[in-house]
Amino acid sequence: MYFVFSIFFPILAGIYLLVRKEVKDRRNLLITVAGALAVTAVLVVLTFFQSGPGMFTLFNLTDRLPLLFKADEVSVIFSIMAVLVFLCAGVFSFEYMKHEKTDGTMSKESHMKEKRYYGFYLVVLGVVIALCFAGNLITFYLFFEILTLSSMPLVLHNGSREAVMAGLKYLFYSLSGAYMSLFGLYFIERYGNTLTFSEGGVISAQAASSHGGILLLTAMLMLVGFGVKAGMFPMHAWLTTAHPVAPAPASAILSAVIVKAGVLAIVRVVYYIFGVSFLKETWVQTVWMVLSLLTIFMGSMLAYREPVLKKRLAYSTVSQLSYILFGLSVMNAGAVTGSLLHVLCHGFIKAALFLCAGAVIYMTGKTKVEELRGIGKEMPLLMWCYTIASLGLIGIPPTGGFISKWYLAEGALSSSMAGFNWIGPVILLVSALLTAGYLLPVTIYGFFPGADFDYENLRKKEPSRLMTIPVLVLTAISVLIGLFPEGVIDYLSRIVVKIM
Amino acid sequence: MDFAQNFPAVSILLCLFAGIISSGLKKKAARFVSMTLIIVVSFLSLWTLFYTIRTGQAFVYVMGKFPAPWGNEIRAGVLEAFMALFFCIIMLLSLEGGRKKLADEVEEGKTFLYYVLSDLLLSSLLALVYTNDLFTAYVFVEINTIAACGLIMIRQNGRTIKASARYMIMSLLGSGLFLMGLCMLYDLTGHLLMSNIKEQAALIYSSGEYRIPLLIVIALMSVGLAIKSALFPFHAWLPDAYGYSTVSSAAILSSLVSKGYIFLLIKIIYRVIGFDIFNSSKIINILFVFGLMGMIFGSLSAIRENDVRRMISFSSVAQIGYIYMGIGMGTQAGIAASMFHILSHAATKSLLFIAAIGLTDVSGGSRKFIELTGAAYRNKWAGAAFTVGSLSMVGVPMFSGFISKLLFAQAAVQNNVKMLPALIVLGISTILNAIYFMKTVIRIYTPPDNGKYESITFKDMRSYTIILIFFILLNVILGVSSQPVVDLIGQGLAMFS
Amino acid sequence: MGANLFSNYGEVVSVILFVIGFGNLLLQSNLIKKIIGLNIMDTAIYLFLAEKGYIEGRIAPIVVDGIQDMETYINPIPSGLVLTGIVVSVSVSALMLSITVRLYQRYQTLDLDEINIRLLKEGQ
Repeated sequence: MYFVFSIFFPILAGIYLLVRKEVKDRRNLLITVAGALAVTAVLVVLTFFQSGPGMFTLFNLTDRLPLLFKADEVSVIFSIMAVLVFLCAGVFSFEYMKHEKTDGTMSKESHMKEKRYYGFYLVVLGVVIALCFAGNLITFYLFFEILTLSSMPLVLHNGSREAVMAGLKYLFYSLSGAYMSLFGLYFIERYGNTLTFSEGGVISAQAASSHGGILLLTAMLMLVGFGVKAGMFPMHAWLTTAHPVAPAPASAILSAVIVKAGVLAIVRVVYYIFGVSFLKETWVQTVWMVLSLLTIFMGSMLAYREPVLKKRLAYSTVSQLSYILFGLSVMNAGAVTGSLLHVLCHGFIKAALFLCAGAVIYMTGKTKVEELRGIGKEMPLLMWCYTIASLGLIGIPPTGGFISKWYLAEGALSSSMAGFNWIGPVILLVSALLTAGYLLPVTIYGFFPGADFDYENLRKKEPSRLMTIPVLVLTAISVLIGLFPEGVIDYLSRIVVKIM
Repeated sequence: MDFAQNFPAVSILLCLFAGIISSGLKKKAARFVSMTLIIVVSFLSLWTLFYTIRTGQAFVYVMGKFPAPWGNEIRAGVLEAFMALFFCIIMLLSLEGGRKKLADEVEEGKTFLYYVLSDLLLSSLLALVYTNDLFTAYVFVEINTIAACGLIMIRQNGRTIKASARYMIMSLLGSGLFLMGLCMLYDLTGHLLMSNIKEQAALIYSSGEYRIPLLIVIALMSVGLAIKSALFPFHAWLPDAYGYSTVSSAAILSSLVSKGYIFLLIKIIYRVIGFDIFNSSKIINILFVFGLMGMIFGSLSAIRENDVRRMISFSSVAQIGYIYMGIGMGTQAGIAASMFHILSHAATKSLLFIAAIGLTDVSGGSRKFIELTGAAYRNKWAGAAFTVGSLSMVGVPMFSGFISKLLFAQAAVQNNVKMLPALIVLGISTILNAIYFMKTVIRIYTPPDNGKYESITFKDMRSYTIILIFFILLNVILGVSSQPVVDLIGQGLAMFS
Repeated sequence: MGANLFSNYGEVVSVILFVIGFGNLLLQSNLIKKIIGLNIMDTAIYLFLAEKGYIEGRIAPIVVDGIQDMETYINPIPSGLVLTGIVVSVSVSALMLSITVRLYQRYQTLDLDEINIRLLKEGQ
């Protein structure tokens, strides 16, 4: 039952921070936050060693709708990824949040603002873990809504007009999406055997044959609705507005973890509610594949054209998440394994990239890609991390990204959908090239600024260890997955065998 | 006859007497009488509720000496007792929550009148809930209108007087239609007691005669009550009446008065016309369509509104639309969902009005959005309560609004024709709700530019804060443990027939 | 159909009056005319009730020389309802009139539209 503690411990810690009257000492605050993050991480990792599926019913919302938590392999990998990224980004923000103080002074008010940030940060962590362990659709929906509401203060953090508008956009897209999925929940409650996630789906054969049409429509709505969180076309516009306005560590968790809630939702809906056999080779699968391929291509193109680094990374998130969604939509063993692996890789890599962007902003205040000439000379360690992480995202060995894309491409090639078995891999390839095109210029101009670069004024600007170590850790994890993939792949293929 | 069977009649009479006594009392004493009365009536209703749950059936109390077809009767089942209890609770909280404002806004010498009117209002609400006689219902509908009009007008300014004039006019149109329908029904069936009318109506209907007059009766009654409960497009009087009257009045009017009429309509559907006859008429489709339109247009008007009180008022229009949509679905589940929404909306809307007043008070009394910036920091509990109310309205799980939406949706999927329009409009209106409520919540939590906020301490507003906490609890309880309430509603509706 | 209407002329007249009153209450902008409309509407309903309550050739249910056959008397309840209704409509009219007086004192006009315009000018 460790996982129940790992859900409520961070939420309670966050609420404690939020209601605490004042902060006298910043140091104490940081130690509290670090302690809470570390304890949560330990609790989550413990679930990995837990034997047998744990079930925990919190209480009954109505007599047919219990709030239920359940630990399975999917919850374990998603929650471990989430908690590691939160830990690293949390440590990073200890240094970074100094920068967000408007007047530079350590006034009481700015402490309060920072306290609020950490409070919501911890609450969001708890909610994300709750999502990972949610055992039925209603619990999932509940925490999905809470996730939107509790992560919004992170977007709103600096309180500017731009941030408020972005926050509202985020809210409306998410709520619209959540409602579409709620729509589905009503139908599944009627036609499904149960709302509890179970491998292979809960739709009874009789309902599938008598109400097949409306159930497929429901599935499509739920895909689009939860796809909003995962930035799937046509509801992706909020992502690139909302992610960049948050403070960098918050952008990192928004882009690396919170969007994965959408992916997790789709995994649960497709493989645990509707079931592969119900959806495979229906129009829903076709539309879903088209949408995700479209998003991959479009995200890469837009990222390629975007001058601001953080926004470019946000567009990259749109595109990379659709790799995952595409893999899930293919619905064969290889592609799903690749998708799940890419969930991990993209999580670590995108967090590392956003933290790099944040460190650059923190040290130099530069936000546009073209301003970053020679940045590699100023902060070499950071830029090396950036480069390695980028290579992972492009899919070059020996990083984890290579392995996941390999599985994705292989799965796509053996897809049973005519046409998609060649158009899928082609788009993956083109998009990988575009990924190289939008990520590597920073490295190239950073390390090779050209002959006319002003070397006289060059000073080392390597940020403090609180910032470099999280980035290093995240990059290292992404490389380690690539070097020693057997264990992870084993674990993932166990999941895949169960759900296919 | 058991002792508890006297309670419904006693509580109605108590309210009337309290009103009469209060009219000769000073302000403080009148308030004391009123509060005691509400608490006593709550206990009586609670007792009645337990009594009816234990006996498992509704009881009839004969007023006067004449037996059934001629005399006047009171009838109490689980649902009636529960509604009476709930109305008392909301009334108590609303009166107490707006007390401070009442002292500011009403002339010193007239405050006692406020309590007189509220006692009268409670008596008429209880009578509407309990009565088994259609003409008695009409008389108390009018008493309710008069008391409500007084509650709007007691704050004297141009807008409230105009609002009450418009309120009276719309109400009178509604009650005129209702009375006409009632007379025709009496003409058709020869009875005034609900149970007897129902028997006759079933006979007439099965004989196939008088179909058109029966249809006209149904139309007149439901349209009359719909006008009175401010169903779109009859809501023009509502924003001014709720927006400018003193806050307790707004809370009571939006959460009780309009709900009293809807409860009467539901009673008429079940106990007078008969559920099947009502559903076979086309009138429910009209109610359904206007309900849907209300859900959308009410929210759209609320989005355009720049005044927080009027915004909440327009949201009432949308919520009334939900209730009529549920009635219009023509299923048991739809009406059960409407009943739950009556409770949930009553709890939420009065919370929002009371919380909004706390927020505007710390913003220099201005109700404009721009002035509300950061108000939640100045009055923490009001901010928290407003947020809870908003989340409930938007339909976030754990709050009452989610359960009612869930019930509406469950009812909708049972009706193949009305399923899609109902679910789509539910979706649109949820998103519209989210737009204006979340806009307000973000506004009140945005730190103000000048950075200084004079926080209100707990001590200054102790009773106000406690009321807000009660409201929040009520909302969360309805949201978290809704099953007993839903069961109770089901049991009560079963007792209707 | 036509014959029915003719034989039930009392009800027809009362419904026509009801519609006239309803229309006046709804559409007139002058408050006094509205109140007159209200009274016409209510009276129409009482006429309807009274018409329905009276049965040609029967007498008032007042027992003078022993209870006769039930067929002798008319139904007294509609008359009772009319009385109750008149009381209600009197009190409602009084309230409406008092509101009208208040509005007139404030704005020196009885026209509801005019009052609306003044209120808008007044602003908040």
